[in-house]
Amino acid sequence: MATLKEKKTCSERMEDFRRFVWNPETKLFMGRTLINWVWISLYYLAFYVVMSGIFALSIYCLMRTVNPYEPDYQDHLKSPGVTLRPDVYGSRGLQIYYNISDNKTWDGLVTTLQTFLTAYTPAAQHLNINCTNDTYFFQDTFDGPNKTKLSCKFTSDMLQNCSGITDPTFGFPEGKPCFIIKMNRIINFLPGNGTAPRVNCTYVGDESSLLEVDYYPVNGTFNLHYFPYYGKKAQPSYSNPLVAVKFLNITRNVEHRILCKVIGAGIISDNVYDPYEGRTLLKNT
Amino acid sequence: RSSRKAFKLTHSYVEMHEFMLQIKPKPGLSSAKAAQVLARDGPNALTPPKATPEIVKFLKQMIGGFSILLWIGAVFSWISFGIQLAQGAESPFDNLYLGVVLALVVILTGIFAYYQEAKSTNIMASFSKMIPQQALVIRDGEKKELPADQLVVGDIVEIKGGDRIPADIRLIFAQGCKVDNSSLTGESEPQSRSCDFTHENPLETKNIAFYSTTCVEGTATGIVINTGDRTIIGRIASLTSGVGNEKTPIAIEIEHFVYLVAGVAISIGVLFFIISVSMRYKILDSIIFLIGIIVANVPEGLLATVTVSLSLTAKRMAKKNCLVKNLEAVETLGSTSVICSDKTGTLTQNRMTVAHLWFDNQIYSADTSEDQTTQPFDQSSPSWTALSKIVTLCNRAEFRPGQENLPIMKRVVVGDASETALLKFAEVILGDVMNIRAQNKKVAEIPFNSTNKFQLSIHKTDDPNDERFLLVMKGAPERILERCSTIMINGKEEPLDSEKAEAFQTAYMELGGMGERVLGFCHLYLPENEFPDTYSFDTDSMNFPTSNLCFVGLLSMIDPPRSTVPDAVSKCRSAGIKVIMVTGDHPITAKAIAKSVGIISATSETVEDIAKRLNIPVEQVNWREATAAVVNGMELKDMSSQQLDEILCNHSEIVFARTSPQQKLIIVEGCQRQGAVVAVTGDGVNDSPALKKADIGIAMGIAGSDAAKNAADMVLLDDNFASIVTGVEEGRLIFDNLKKTIAYTLTKNIAELCPFLIYIIASIPLPIGTITILFIDLGTDIIPSVALAYEKAESDIMNRRPRNKRKDRLVNEQLAIYSYLQIGIMQSVGAFVTYFTVYAEQGFLPSTLLGVRVNWENNAINDFEDSYGQEWTKYQRTYLQWTGYTAFFVSITIQQVADLIIRKTRRNSIFQQGNKVIWVGIFSQIGIALILTYGLGHVTALNFTPLRFQYWFVAVPFAILIWVYDEVRKLFIRRYPGSK
Repeated sequence: MATLKEKKTCSERMEDFRRFVWNPETKLFMGRTLINWVWISLYYLAFYVVMSGIFALSIYCLMRTVNPYEPDYQDHLKSPGVTLRPDVYGSRGLQIYYNISDNKTWDGLVTTLQTFLTAYTPAAQHLNINCTNDTYFFQDTFDGPNKTKLSCKFTSDMLQNCSGITDPTFGFPEGKPCFIIKMNRIINFLPGNGTAPRVNCTYVGDESSLLEVDYYPVNGTFNLHYFPYYGKKAQPSYSNPLVAVKFLNITRNVEHRILCKVIGAGIISDNVYDPYEGRTLLKNT
Repeated sequence: RSSRKAFKLTHSYVEMHEFMLQIKPKPGLSSAKAAQVLARDGPNALTPPKATPEIVKFLKQMIGGFSILLWIGAVFSWISFGIQLAQGAESPFDNLYLGVVLALVVILTGIFAYYQEAKSTNIMASFSKMIPQQALVIRDGEKKELPADQLVVGDIVEIKGGDRIPADIRLIFAQGCKVDNSSLTGESEPQSRSCDFTHENPLETKNIAFYSTTCVEGTATGIVINTGDRTIIGRIASLTSGVGNEKTPIAIEIEHFVYLVAGVAISIGVLFFIISVSMRYKILDSIIFLIGIIVANVPEGLLATVTVSLSLTAKRMAKKNCLVKNLEAVETLGSTSVICSDKTGTLTQNRMTVAHLWFDNQIYSADTSEDQTTQPFDQSSPSWTALSKIVTLCNRAEFRPGQENLPIMKRVVVGDASETALLKFAEVILGDVMNIRAQNKKVAEIPFNSTNKFQLSIHKTDDPNDERFLLVMKGAPERILERCSTIMINGKEEPLDSEKAEAFQTAYMELGGMGERVLGFCHLYLPENEFPDTYSFDTDSMNFPTSNLCFVGLLSMIDPPRSTVPDAVSKCRSAGIKVIMVTGDHPITAKAIAKSVGIISATSETVEDIAKRLNIPVEQVNWREATAAVVNGMELKDMSSQQLDEILCNHSEIVFARTSPQQKLIIVEGCQRQGAVVAVTGDGVNDSPALKKADIGIAMGIAGSDAAKNAADMVLLDDNFASIVTGVEEGRLIFDNLKKTIAYTLTKNIAELCPFLIYIIASIPLPIGTITILFIDLGTDIIPSVALAYEKAESDIMNRRPRNKRKDRLVNEQLAIYSYLQIGIMQSVGAFVTYFTVYAEQGFLPSTLLGVRVNWENNAINDFEDSYGQEWTKYQRTYLQWTGYTAFFVSITIQQVADLIIRKTRRNSIFQQGNKVIWVGIFSQIGIALILTYGLGHVTALNFTPLRFQYWFVAVPFAILIWVYDEVRKLFIRRYPGSK
C-alpha cells in the first residue's frame, strides 16, 4: 500500500488555504464565484423561509385543532399529585428542620406559608361564590361572567388554627407546626367517587407510636363542591382547596418520617416511581 | 545497508561450506543430535510475518474513529455523576448509566469491528495453510520421511524432480538436477545444479539449492545448511514484512469523514458549551449538554455498518474468485487507475496451444479458446492429412492414463509444453491419438536436442498394403527446410524452388511476427526396396536419409490469451483504467499478446510501427504520435526516472517486456509518481516488494508463491485477469453505496442535534434523550444502512473514470451540506412538529413550553401548571417528557424511511431502480421502532412510552415532502447534468 498523501509543510498548507479562500486566477471565492455564492445564499434563504413557513403553518394548524378549554388527552394525569407547604426540599424529598428557640430557623417557613395563603384572602377570593352543597359542582353551561364557569370560594380562615390569622407563627415555636396540603388540579377529575377525599398523616416505619394530628377543615376533607375543575379558561379564579395538618405530639430531636396521603376513590397513592402522586412524604425533626 | 547484509550473507555461507565438508553423509545425523539442534534452532519453517498482537488490534478498534469522542462523553458523564454524588443530588445515577451505556456502545461496536476484521483475516489464514511438506532424510543411517519442519542443520536430504526443496541445501551429489529459482531470482529458465562450488555469491553458486524453490528434474543429495528464517528466502521474507503497510484509500476517506464529523461535533459542542455557560447554565449542566451534542453528532453505528458493507462485498467478491485479505482493499480496487498485469497465466492461459497452421501455401488459424472441442479450419486437403500424421507420430508426449472422461484440454500430459500442445491439437481433430500411434508402430526415434534442433521418428504405416516406412520429422523451420528438396502442395510433392522457399519465408516471418513459436514438419516415405520390412534402423549411425525430405507445413504455437481477457481489458479501458503489461517474455510475443487482448488496441502504433509504415529510421519518428509503446527491460535499466515518467505519461498503451521482477517495482513507483492508484498482479517471491508497494497487490491463487500471497492485499483464486475487473466493479459500487450509507446516516444527526440546541437556547423540555438517540443510531438505522450496500449500480459505473483520490471524496461538502442543511433541517422540522403536537394535546401548548426548562426539571416543584391550569408532579412531567422522546424518535424513524428511499439512488428516480433488500431495511426500521415503543415502553430505564398511535403519522407529510423534494432535485440533476 502506498502513501497517498504527500506531506505538506505548514506554510504550503496556509498558502493552499489562502488560495482556496480567494483564487485570483479563477476569481473563485472559497471554490465558487461570488455570483454563485449569492445564488446559493438566496436559495438557502428561500429554503429556510419556506421551511419556517411550513413549521409555522403546522403549529398554526395544531393550535386550531386543540380544544382551548381542556387538553385532548390526560394520559399522564390519571391521579392528582399532592404537595405540602412549606416546601423545603433536601436531597431526598421534603425535609423540614428547625430549632424552636431560634426563630431564624423557622421564620422562612412561616413566611412561605403566609405568602402561600395570600391567594386565599377574602379579597383574593372575591370573584368566587360561596358553595354549601357537599356534592360535585357540575356546570354544563358558562354561567360566570365573560363566558366562564363559577368557582367555589376557599378562604384561609377555613383552616382555623392553621390559617395564620389566629396564630401567625403557625405553631412553629410551640413545636406543634402546621403544614398545608394541596392536591393538584386535574381537569374534570372527580375524586372520591361521591365521598369527599380525606387527608391522613402517619409515621412511616415506626407504626408503634401514634401521630396525633389536627386536621382543618374538620376531618381533613376536600369538599366535593370544589370538583370538577374545568380548566384555566373556564375557571380563571379557581383556587385549590387546602387541608392543614397540625402535628401535636412530635418528639423533638428525633428524625421522623411522616406520610400524608389523600384517601379517596380514584386517587392513587402507591406509584413507586412517583413519590408525590396522591401522597407527600415529610421528614421532620 | 542491504549490500552489507549481502556481504555478511556470503561470508557465512562460505564458512558454512568449509564446515560442511566434515560431515559424513552416510549415517547422517543421529536422532538425538537432530533433536538437540532442533531445540536450539527451532523448526524449519518461516515465521509468519509479524502480525499485530490481537490485543493491540482490539485496542485500536476501541479507540479508533469516533470511539474516542464517545469515551470523552462517557468520562464526562462519570465526572458529572461524581460531582452530583458529592453534592448529594437526588438522581445522580442517570449520568452514571449514561456513561456506562456510552462505554458499552464503544466496547460493543469495537468488539464487532474486531470480530469482522478477524473473520476476514481467518479466511486468508485458512487459505494460506499448506499441506505439510515431507522430506526424505537420512538419519541414524536410515532413510526416513519426515515433515520438512523437523529438518535441522546438518541433515542429509535427498531430492528428486518435482520436489520442493525443504531447506537451503549444499549439494554433495547431483545428477541432471535442475531447479526452478524463478520465485527467488526471477530467472524463468530452470537452473542446473551440481556439487561444484562455482561462485562466492550463494545466489550464483551452483552447489546450493534454496528453500521453497522446486527441483524440476534429476536427483540430488545435499546437506542442510540453513533452516527456517535463516534461509535466503526467510531473510527476504523478513525484509519485505518490515515494509509497513500504508493506509488504503478507503481508510483515508473514512478518516477524513471522521475528522469532518468529529470537527463538527466538537465545534458545535464547544460553541454551545460557551453559549450555555454564558447563559448562566451551571457548568455541570453545560457538560451534560456537551455530552448530548457529541452523542447526537457522532454516528455510532456507522463504522460498524461500513465494516459490514465492506465484508458483504468481500464475500461477493470471494464468490467471483477475488479473495480479499484486507477489507479495505475492496474499495481500493474500485479506485484503481492503473493495473500492472503479468502476462503468463493472468492474461494468458499459461499453456502452449496451436494457433496457426501453414500448408498448401496458406495460413490457417486454429481455435485457441480454453474449451475447444473441434477445429473449424479446412481439413479437406490431403496435405493436412499428411501434416496431421506427422503431428501425431513425431511426438513423445502422452496423456496420463485414466482421464478418458475429462475434456481433452483439461487432461494432464507427460511431455514438454510444445509437444503437449501438438498432442492436444491432434487429439481434438483426429481423436484417439494413442490408438493411431499404436497402429503406426514406431521403429526408431531421435529425440529433440539442441544441436540437431529436430526430432525424428520412423514408423510402420497403418495401411496394410503399404509396406513402406514413414519417416517423420519436426523442428526449427529453417533447419527442417534445409533438409527438404520438395514441398507438398495439395497432396502432391512439388520441387522446392526459390519461389516456394520465398512463400515459406513469408509465412514463417508472419507467424514469428505474431510472437508465436513456429515448428516445421516434413516427412519421407522410405522406398520399399531399400528399406524392407526387416530393415534395422540405427539412430546412432543414422542409416537412413535425413535430407531431400518433403516439406509438409508449419505449425505455430502460442500461450493464447484467456478468452475473457479482451472483454475485460476493454471494460477497463472504458472504465478509464490503464492496463500495463509487465512480462519477462520477448517483446514480440508480449506485443502480440497485448494486441490480441487489446492492451494495444488495433489502431494504435508504436514508434517502431510508425517507422516501418513511413519507412524512416526509428529516431526520426515523432514519438508523441505513437500511442503505444513496447519497452524492453534492457532499455528500462538505463532510463532515468524522468524518462520513465515521460513514457508513462505520453503513451496510453504500454507493454514492458523482458523485465525482471525488480523492474516491476520501478514501474509501480513510476505510476504512483503520476498520482495513480496502482494495482499490481504477481506470483513470484520477488514480486512481493512490488505487491507491497502497489496500492493494491493482487497475488495469483494458483501460481502464486506464499510470499506473494502474504504481501498481496487480494488473491485471485482463478489467476484470471477478468476477475480483477469484477473486483473493480464491486469496489466502485461499494464506494458509491458507502456514500449513500453515510448520507443516510448523517441526515438524522441534525434531527438529533437540533433538540439539544433548541433545548439550550429556548429552554424547552428536552425533546429527545441521549439514550433514545443511541437507539436510533444503533437500533433502527443499522439494518437500512446495511441494506444500502445491496444497492445496484446506477447504470454508468464502469463507464466513468476512476475517482480522483484528491477530489472525489467519500464525504464531500455537497453531501454533508445537503444532508445537514437541507434534508436534516426538514427532518428536524417534522420531528419538532410531532413534539409540539404531543405536548399540546397533553396540555402544554407551544407558548407555555418556551423558557420552562429550569422549573420543569426542578424536582421540588410538584405542582407545575400547564396551559390549562392543571398541575403536574415531577414524575408526571418526566413521563410526558419520555413520551416526547418517543414521539421524536418515532418521527425521526418515519422520516428516515423517506431518507432511505431518497438515498437509494443518487441520480435515478426511485421509480427507475428497485432493491428488495431496502424493503427489509424499511420493515426492520419500523419493526424495531414498534418493539421499542410498545414492547419496551414500560421499561422506564429506556425512556420509551407506549405512544398514542396517531402520533406515528404526524411526520408522514414531512417524510413525503422530503421524498418529493429529493425527486425534484434528481430530476434537475438528470435534466442538467454536470452543473454544480
